[in-house]
Amino acid sequence: MFATFDKYRQVFLTGLQSNIVYRFNFAVRGFFSLFHLAAVVILWSAASLGGSGGLGGFSLGQTITYFVTLLILQFFISAFNEDYQISEEIRNGLINQFLLKPINYFAYRFSIFVAARLVSGLVVIVPLLIALPVLREYLEFPHDYRVLLFGLPAMAMSAVIQFSIAYCFGLLSFWFLEIQGFVILSMALETLLGGQMFPLDLLPEWAYAIARCLPFYYQMYFPAAIFTGRLTDPTLIFQGYGIQAAWVIALLLVNQLLWSRGLRRHTAVGG
Amino acid sequence: MLHYAKIWAASARYSITRTLMFRGDFFVWSLVELFWMAVNILTITVIYEHTQSIAGWTKYQMVLLVGTSMLIQRFLMGFFWSSIFEMGRNIRSGNFDFYLAQPGNVMFMATTRKLDPDSLLNSLVAAAVVIYAAHQLGLDPSAGQIALYALMVLCGVVIHYSILVLSISLAFWLTSAQGIEGLYFTLTEFSRLPRAAFTGIATQMLFVWLLPVVMVTNVPASLLVQGFDLTLSAWLFGSALVWFAAAVFVFNRGLRRYTSASS
Repeated sequence: MFATFDKYRQVFLTGLQSNIVYRFNFAVRGFFSLFHLAAVVILWSAASLGGSGGLGGFSLGQTITYFVTLLILQFFISAFNEDYQISEEIRNGLINQFLLKPINYFAYRFSIFVAARLVSGLVVIVPLLIALPVLREYLEFPHDYRVLLFGLPAMAMSAVIQFSIAYCFGLLSFWFLEIQGFVILSMALETLLGGQMFPLDLLPEWAYAIARCLPFYYQMYFPAAIFTGRLTDPTLIFQGYGIQAAWVIALLLVNQLLWSRGLRRHTAVGG
Repeated sequence: MLHYAKIWAASARYSITRTLMFRGDFFVWSLVELFWMAVNILTITVIYEHTQSIAGWTKYQMVLLVGTSMLIQRFLMGFFWSSIFEMGRNIRSGNFDFYLAQPGNVMFMATTRKLDPDSLLNSLVAAAVVIYAAHQLGLDPSAGQIALYALMVLCGVVIHYSILVLSISLAFWLTSAQGIEGLYFTLTEFSRLPRAAFTGIATQMLFVWLLPVVMVTNVPASLLVQGFDLTLSAWLFGSALVWFAAAVFVFNRGLRRYTSASS
């Protein structure tokens, strides 16, 4: 048991080191995100002025806070290029070494993912701190420590969902030469239904009800909505945990299935 | 001139043949762009459920603006995108030598080599969005207005092309121009916003005037919505010329530094 844990702890530590190498890239990416935030502030400020002052029952500040939270979450839990990395390892045969070792490829990759996100999440704080003097007047976080209590489990499960989806796409390389098309296609869906374009509660009720059943909602929106006080009803939050856990299990099963089916098609060539 | 048209036609033929070879790819990529356009239109629709106007623009005026932005982007992607991006990689790897040996202007050869028929197909969808929005607004543009709109869209494509060539040319100095792709997409976010929404002096200077990403879409769209404005149109035309000249200058300067990278 401890030996297993120690194995992946080492992977995590190596992942940490190799990702610290990319700290500068993450920082640049975080800096670019400030441009995105600027566009968000401009668009939603104008939209809120053009309406009755609020946006779906939330103030402009709350809306901007939502987008800032989303940005932070993105650097802490979302999959960046994990799908491509896995795809590469399959295509150039690097994956073969894992087939011979007592190591679970999913757990190995997940350990690296956690390390990578820890680094990128901490790095993005720098550009945000630089922008803080301007952003501060928009930030309206709820003054209730319970949002953290409720939000953190949702965030952890979201990370698993994010990674599992990327892992699935990576494994598609067993069947397809190119996965980029699929990835970007699903990115469009994730962007929309994960709440990156607008807070999902602004959707018409029927569409929101459908979105709540889909995995994309639990990829990003769910924890963000809890952290920013858009989702406060404990019944709804626990219901959300339930659906989210179901998606986690379903995706893990799909991963397992793709892995075992894919390996049957896989040919390891060379030494 | 005829010489270049012939070269371009040969590249186009090659690209179309290639597409016919990878039909599945073509289908997936067409779908990708279609999805992204739908995402943008849906976002507008949802926002207008909660507001009446964005910086004075009504829902269908916004759709027209976003449609214009999509149109420019599709043209850029369809005609130049793949070639310009490969240029960045080729400069790093040394494969750029190939273009130096070709019978024509290097910048032309390097940036027009590949067409993306999926983007060109989707430019029709973008045009349909613009026409639909214009119809909803009850607009009845004259032939002259339509011609001017087309000219302004063309200026927009030239500006986007020049900005992109300029940024990728940095690879001559920095060797790697990775990440510029992301920056470009971030900048296009601004091109979907009405100019009047930029109320801060800093953002106005930066995105409206210095980097004309906002004007590129706002000038043609307002031409249909609010009518012709000589100053703005002339300004856009002028900045297309300036940006293009800058791109040619920087590209050629970079070319002098190119040392190849054969191993």
